Amino acid sequence: MSHDINCPISQRALLSPPDLSWISRAQVNQPAVLRRAEQVQARQAVKKAWQAAWLLKAVTFIDLTTLSGDDTSSNVQRLCYKAKYPIREDLLKALNMHDKGITTAAVCVYPARVCDAVKALKAAGCDIPVASEQVSQGFQPLQTNSRSMRHLPSLQLLKLSLYDEIRQFRKASGDARVKTILATGELGSLTNVYKASLVAMMAGSDFIKTSTGKETVNATLPVAIVMLRAIRDFFWKTGTKVGFKPAGGIRTAKDALVWLSLVKEELGDEWLTPELFRIGASSLLSDIERQIYHHVTGRYAAYHDLPMS
Amino acid sequence: MAATRVEPRAREIFSTLEYGPVPESHACALAWLDTHDRLLGHYVNGKWQKPEHRNAASCQDPVTGENLATFLQAQEKDVGAAVQAARTAFESWSQLPGTTRAQYLTRLAKMIQKHLRLLWTLESLFTGRAVREIRDGDIPLAQQLLQYHAIQAHIQEEALADWEPMGVVGLILPPTFSFMDMMWRVCPALAVGCTVVALVPPSSPTPLLLAQLAGELSPFPGILNVLSGPTSLAPALVSWPGVQKVVFCGAVEEGRALRRSLAGKGATLGLALGTESLLLLTDSADVDSAVEGVVDAAWSDRSPGGLRLLIQESVWDEAVRRLQGRMGRLRSGRGLDGAVDMGTRGAAAHDLAQCYVREAQSQGGEVFQAGDIPSNNPFFPPTLISGLPPAAPCFQAEVPWPVVMAFPFRTAKEALALANGTPRGGSASVWSERLGQALELGYRLLAGTVWINAHGLQDPAVPIGGCKESGSSWHGGPDGLYEYLRPLGTPPQPPYFCESLNYDTFGLAVPSTLPAELEIGSSPEPPYGLFVGGRFQAPGARSSRPIQDSSGNLHGYVAEGGAKDIRGAVEAAHQAAPGWAVQSPASRASLLWALAAALERRTPALVSRLERQGAELKAARAEVELSVRRLRKWGAQVQAQGHTPQVAGLKGPVLRLREPLGVLAIVCPNEWPLLAFVSLLAPALAHGNAVVLVPSETCPLLALEVCQDMASLCPAGLVNVVTGDRDHLTRCLALHQDIQALWYFGSAQGSQFVEWASAGNLKPVWVNGGSLRAWDQQTEGAGPELGLRAARTKALWVPMGD
Repeated sequence: MSHDINCPISQRALLSPPDLSWISRAQVNQPAVLRRAEQVQARQAVKKAWQAAWLLKAVTFIDLTTLSGDDTSSNVQRLCYKAKYPIREDLLKALNMHDKGITTAAVCVYPARVCDAVKALKAAGCDIPVASEQVSQGFQPLQTNSRSMRHLPSLQLLKLSLYDEIRQFRKASGDARVKTILATGELGSLTNVYKASLVAMMAGSDFIKTSTGKETVNATLPVAIVMLRAIRDFFWKTGTKVGFKPAGGIRTAKDALVWLSLVKEELGDEWLTPELFRIGASSLLSDIERQIYHHVTGRYAAYHDLPMS
Repeated sequence: MAATRVEPRAREIFSTLEYGPVPESHACALAWLDTHDRLLGHYVNGKWQKPEHRNAASCQDPVTGENLATFLQAQEKDVGAAVQAARTAFESWSQLPGTTRAQYLTRLAKMIQKHLRLLWTLESLFTGRAVREIRDGDIPLAQQLLQYHAIQAHIQEEALADWEPMGVVGLILPPTFSFMDMMWRVCPALAVGCTVVALVPPSSPTPLLLAQLAGELSPFPGILNVLSGPTSLAPALVSWPGVQKVVFCGAVEEGRALRRSLAGKGATLGLALGTESLLLLTDSADVDSAVEGVVDAAWSDRSPGGLRLLIQESVWDEAVRRLQGRMGRLRSGRGLDGAVDMGTRGAAAHDLAQCYVREAQSQGGEVFQAGDIPSNNPFFPPTLISGLPPAAPCFQAEVPWPVVMAFPFRTAKEALALANGTPRGGSASVWSERLGQALELGYRLLAGTVWINAHGLQDPAVPIGGCKESGSSWHGGPDGLYEYLRPLGTPPQPPYFCESLNYDTFGLAVPSTLPAELEIGSSPEPPYGLFVGGRFQAPGARSSRPIQDSSGNLHGYVAEGGAKDIRGAVEAAHQAAPGWAVQSPASRASLLWALAAALERRTPALVSRLERQGAELKAARAEVELSVRRLRKWGAQVQAQGHTPQVAGLKGPVLRLREPLGVLAIVCPNEWPLLAFVSLLAPALAHGNAVVLVPSETCPLLALEVCQDMASLCPAGLVNVVTGDRDHLTRCLALHQDIQALWYFGSAQGSQFVEWASAGNLKPVWVNGGSLRAWDQQTEGAGPELGLRAARTKALWVPMGD
């Protein structure tokens, strides 16, 4: 679990009592979802101007992340400046997009580096939120729980304990937004992914996230399809829009386009805003910048043509 | 419309996040057309033919209306030349070792590999189908088909040792087809050693291109010849000697007409008809995935036709809501745009769909249409029709592309009744997470292919076919190979067409039997009745026919059966059929063995009867003995049925089931009165069919003798034997709509009539064309051919995963 500091609260998931019959009825057919994922992956969503625009949009969804053991204030500072200026200014001008204020959606660092990040962003003069990956100070008792939650083997156990836990967390977090990481790689089956998504949303999560980005199995399309369907079903039932964040393994511009088109297909355009869709990534941004460079200049960029983060 | 959208600035797209066109350059397709000066002739014997004074048909881009190319329409003599070329090529091609043919097919696959873009852009340009489906679906499948059949050719000498290639195969393709329909049939035909003459509509250049690619791989010109021309040339194609098989895929009515016009022409006809498929959505299904299944089945260019959608009442609202949401996100546009989901199928398909939708609306159906669709003519939006009960006239018609006809059901039983209650039996899918329910539905749906929790999967190793009016030919897998093979050593069938045969009067009346001269000697046994429903019954006509022995003396009387008796027999058979079909192989085998034992006990009586019919004592003994052996053989063979093909890229099994046909009618030959009767009856029973039999006309007493045992051994109605005038009974059987297959071994005229009349319900027929069969030989009397014809294949796909 994590929460975004400074994030304005646009909406609030309803704290519905857990609807167990809905959860137990859920059915997900894995082979069919895999086929759908293949279809989504094979389709070429957009080209040319559309591709450039979509990629710029993708930039605004990125939670620019550094979660390394050796993070220090200097590389966090670099990261924050890259978040503020994700694409070279002249490239944006060429696309007539320089006044759109394109920045990444947030910066995501270890709790220990949150202060550095906030400071750096303030210095850069922008209000990009900082997300901390792990429960920030003040929720220490829950931190251990939340970690172990990801490793609970049985969903039967998970259902209620997860619900209560997120509820507690939800209360404790006050106005901040709660994001639940489902660690989908360890849930065992897609049906469990669907059920876990439902539980997390019923308990009041504002965002559900595929994985920490540091596990062996990260964001995969089949898992995403199931989570997106759960989000849509929850919206239909309660009227609450819950956000979605895939993290880990999204490295290329092409991947980003596939994810955007997936969200567009499964949930519709309303979900394509930073309030409801985030991509957790670190190296994705530089590939997007390279593609934009190519779109604008018609040349493939050298490593040194684009500023590093 | 995708193609004419002005490119909005990135700025605008940034806020709308709309999709844009992803145009696929078709310059190479145009360049290829230009090398032919935009005038395409025929590709025959490894050369382009552009004969003069032929009608030219110009072909337009289905979207822009721009003239793309002109096709020369073939005439009869062009067909003749093509058949001649194919016959010449057959001489050498069929004699080659399988390994050589395998190498050729592999080379062809590599040749296609070199021209992928040309193939997919050309196909999409002319048909209007979404290029994405052709590029990512069809072309890889075409290559897999070539590879699979190369392997089959390679092992042909071992695996198909008892078979030989039929000869020249005529392939007739309808105006709305994809080139895959051709690949599915050309690959196995070439692999087993046949050569092909394809008659394609004058609007598709892809088959011509394929023929060119194949032809350029010398030294085998003439194995694949492609002509552009109308379907009406089919009789001309068949009238050339050497054409042993005609394969047609297209609309049901066209297939019917073709069946009638080819009656008696000597070539066997393989039909694959109709495009509609069926989807059964139960309340335990993953509804979202099922909705994607509906998209696969009707609203993508992956499938040819419309869809009949059965939704369980309890999930109706949920399913329809999701369907409508999904429909709104479908994009239609020019096929060459790589981003569209649905292309177009030309003006004809548009009008057909339009007409159907209007009709449905006028009959009270609710019509829902959505999607991002250009408004001009050839495009048609995805359409969902609901609220029409089965009694509505529209409901019975075939659902056209891209229409989905949805209706609710309450229980799985009701779903089966509704789904099986149409004359079509092509492909279907079942969506249910309950394994037992899914398998029950999968097994009991009358269809050629059933997918469980999937729709539209295909693989070269899995046979695709149908039942009822969807035709009875298979492509893919082993069944696809047998379509082009005949048992080794059997001669090709000569034509038995009789111009003067009057279909209206053939076998209409029964010559009446008047009291003959005095009965001499001891009064013979009382007349046999008809063996119907497990007991001997008096015939409806209340008359008997005398049977003479070889010296012309009265041997006995048998009942004179008629139309009413046939009706009764078929009804009795239908009552017995379901029970027999679900019997385990072991109990079927034990019945056949019990029958064999009974026959053995009856040997003296049977031998004496055979002797009275003029057989030598030794020959008579041999015939009875062989009959006993045949019953035992088929009994033993019941066990080994079906197999599980391995499918690349699919987790989980695909079951190749051999299902009973249902009620099988058999008209036995006059010769071999006991052996032929048993040889035909045994495989039919072994494969789970209920049977209506007409025994030898001149000597039915042996069959009736056997029936005395069957009365006590078989379930009532499983075997029904109707004696009487063969032509009359044949007429009744051939015109009966509720008989699932008919085997006829009689006169040439009878064969022709049977083929003509079978067009009614398109039942598969097997006729001898008036020629005699060596029933005492293994190949013709008990060969694998009988087993193949006695059951139909169903492919049941069971993908797995959790």
